[in-house]
Amino acid sequence: MSASSRNRILVGVGVTATCLLAACDSLRSPPPQFPEQTGQPGSAQPVPGQSAPGQPAQTPARPARQFHLSPASTALVAQAHKAANSGDFGLAAATVERAMRIEPDNPLLWIELGGVRLTAGDFSQANSMGRKALSLATGDPRAQSSAWHLIADSLRALGRNEEAADADRRADALAPR
Amino acid sequence: MLIGALYWIYLDRVVTRQFEGRRWTLPAQIYAAPLELYAGLGLSQSDLEHELQRLQYRRVDRVQHSGTYREQGSRIDIALRAARFADESRPAGLLSVTTESSGIQSLRDSSGHDVPIIRLEPLLIGSIFPIHGEDRIVVTPQEVPPLLPAALIAVEDRNFEHHHGIDPMGIIRAMWVDVRAGQIEQGGSTLTQQLVKSYFLNPRQTLGRKLREAAMAISLEAHFGKADIMNAYINEIFLGQDGARAIHGFGLASEFYFGKPLSELDLSEVALLVAVVRGPSYYDPRRHPDRVRLRRDLVLKLMAERGIVRASDAQAAEKRPVGVTPRAAGAYYPAYLDFVRRTLRRDYRNEDLTEAGLRIYTSLEPRAQDQAERALEGELARLDHVRKQPAAERLQGSVVVTSPHSGDVIAIVGGRDVGYDGFNRALDARRPMGSLVKPFIYLTALESGRYNAATIIQDAPLTIRLANGQLWQPQNFTRQTNGPVPLVRALAESLNLATVGLGLDLGLPKIAQTLQRFGLPTPPAQVPAMLLGAVDVTPLEAAQMYNGLANGGFQTPLRAVRAVISEDGKAIRAFPLKVTPVATPENIYELNRMLEQVMVKGTGKSARTLLPANLVVAGKSGTSSDLRDDWFAGFSGSHLTVVWVGYDDNRSTGFTGSSGALPVWARVMAGLGTSSWSAPMPESLAETWVSYQSGAQVDASCAEDAVPIAVPVGTQLPVQPGCGNNGVDSIVKRAGEWLRDIMH
Repeated sequence: MSASSRNRILVGVGVTATCLLAACDSLRSPPPQFPEQTGQPGSAQPVPGQSAPGQPAQTPARPARQFHLSPASTALVAQAHKAANSGDFGLAAATVERAMRIEPDNPLLWIELGGVRLTAGDFSQANSMGRKALSLATGDPRAQSSAWHLIADSLRALGRNEEAADADRRADALAPR
Repeated sequence: MLIGALYWIYLDRVVTRQFEGRRWTLPAQIYAAPLELYAGLGLSQSDLEHELQRLQYRRVDRVQHSGTYREQGSRIDIALRAARFADESRPAGLLSVTTESSGIQSLRDSSGHDVPIIRLEPLLIGSIFPIHGEDRIVVTPQEVPPLLPAALIAVEDRNFEHHHGIDPMGIIRAMWVDVRAGQIEQGGSTLTQQLVKSYFLNPRQTLGRKLREAAMAISLEAHFGKADIMNAYINEIFLGQDGARAIHGFGLASEFYFGKPLSELDLSEVALLVAVVRGPSYYDPRRHPDRVRLRRDLVLKLMAERGIVRASDAQAAEKRPVGVTPRAAGAYYPAYLDFVRRTLRRDYRNEDLTEAGLRIYTSLEPRAQDQAERALEGELARLDHVRKQPAAERLQGSVVVTSPHSGDVIAIVGGRDVGYDGFNRALDARRPMGSLVKPFIYLTALESGRYNAATIIQDAPLTIRLANGQLWQPQNFTRQTNGPVPLVRALAESLNLATVGLGLDLGLPKIAQTLQRFGLPTPPAQVPAMLLGAVDVTPLEAAQMYNGLANGGFQTPLRAVRAVISEDGKAIRAFPLKVTPVATPENIYELNRMLEQVMVKGTGKSARTLLPANLVVAGKSGTSSDLRDDWFAGFSGSHLTVVWVGYDDNRSTGFTGSSGALPVWARVMAGLGTSSWSAPMPESLAETWVSYQSGAQVDASCAEDAVPIAVPVGTQLPVQPGCGNNGVDSIVKRAGEWLRDIMH
């Protein structure tokens, strides 16, 4: 294994570890109370931030949100990390998948699974998982930033360095390191 | 003499060799998805109890043995069985589950510690047995309740511990008993002979074979201990027939008749299985309960006589009913198992599946499966009744349910006769998808950058010259035209003319490509009729395609099998979750908001009354030409369901996707405890309200026909005059409408 590819793998573990910390945060203190995200489908009433007639459709002012893992997911993610650290990526992935069945639209879990794929060397899936996480993370700059970092690492591993640098810039703009 | 001796040596060799290296062929065991329990899960106490009973947990007053539970107010204490999952084994243990009105409140282990998450053991849903049909679950001596060998000895072979394979006294005694009783009550064969007969010999009854059986029994006894022989007997003997499947061994018989492990059987249940040994067909507990009951009571009497159990216990056990589960243990899901088998046959040789003792973990959710079966049968029976169909001309249907994010297929119904392993419509009925094709056309339109949900298209008569020179004049379902309509309405009302016009503008190759991107397995014929769904798919393929919509533009191969585990517990194949982006989250979001309007204003709105209030769903109806096929495909935040209804002989059903498949779909979704579709709107999109009729931007608080759509930020839409800023206008308009409503 070349030095550079080892580096990539370490980066992958780094992404995973960040998320666990985020999960721990949410356990230590009660999750911050944010208002429900607006613009949800099915809202029968017009929402604040909706474009007024005669105006071009505008980006609504969206309140921020912060994803966190449920206690069940937190326990499973911790188990997954143990498995990944002992080199059992199959078990690690299967354990994250258990959590995803409980919270399928939590972007943090997609980032976790992407991290496992990255560490296991499946860079293309890691990239896709990052995209999936990004699509779910709307409104949470920290989660979006983590997703972009995962995408950046995956792209770099795939040799797509320019796109990777761009992804890193996006990540940093959302949550400066 | 010499020949006799040589033959003896030969038989002795056969016996020792085969028996020493004995390995029963172990059919692959197939398991459903285990139920995950965690605080916050919306599972009521009665739901939990139902799930425990599905796994044949027994309700008791004091929880001692695994496989039992008790209720204590809002708490259920469960003695969990040891369980093997795809990724780990878990020992038996105590779990206390406290529920509140919204579901599970807390989980605690025996020392009172919080348990964040724990699984019930997975339900065994089937096995893959070889052509000759032998199915079995092998048990170790530790898993055998001590009563069982004692009872077998008492009833079948009193002198088992002392004889050398054959028991001449036993034969005489049996003859005497039989003569006195006037019928066969005892056989003369020892347990060893019965084992030899089943293990080594074919069932022909000849004198030569009898002698060989005796010789082999003696040889077996000479080389192996009694405990070994007893364990082999318990795993070998034939105990029932289930169609083509032969039930071998007490381990499987216990699951087959009682739905629980052998170790959990009580006295009356052990006695029942021992009764069945004598004639699994004659004493079939499901077909001849009275007959088997008499014999069971005889077994109990013999056990008491021989001092194995107290007479009072035997008498108490005689009072128990036969107690077998109504049909082959637990559940029978042939359509789902069919899909599992097909998945596995791609990777495994038949012998691996039927002999190697593999454990196959699937995504089947028994609760969802039961719900889908009930919904289909209930609605089709109602539709048959409404249409006064003769019994021979029954409607058919099929249902596929998935978890869109994971691609797990959680339920498959292949037809109305759910217990019948026949034509699997979910996998094999390839039918025109009708209007189910339309979302992919509208998605292609959004992707072109030239259309949004409010863009006006023409719903007007069309005449198209086909490649063969013929003219094609498509029609709307209502045979009327609507003139200029916005995309959102054209899709919600499934307007054929507007859609054909749109599709021709986009070009057939582009649309064919979209269909394939979403999982259509073969390239569609690029003819204009493709735009109205002249594209054949199976319900499972339709589910694959819609899964990409439900999953936010990510394609995930649908999977029934999660993992294959070898006999010694190693994962030998996993089917990991894979996602591939096939459309941008933005375009999918714009489309899905339109599919939401299908359920609010369009062809799906009649589902509203069957669904929980406020549940947000998105979907599309489909009807093929001449009403031969009725489809509905739609999703919530956590489930995608595809329903097909039609006749096997392709006759017209006389109703549309909205009247045939939709009610089935709505009942399935309503019963799943599903959550609202609530994908976050991408930041480059904005929500805006437009007139459903004109597509013009309106003020939602004053326009009656306002519908919300998502468009790219900065999109400039025409504004509906006379509404919004002018309060007086709108009050006048509303008063007018109110008057109009009263007049009608």
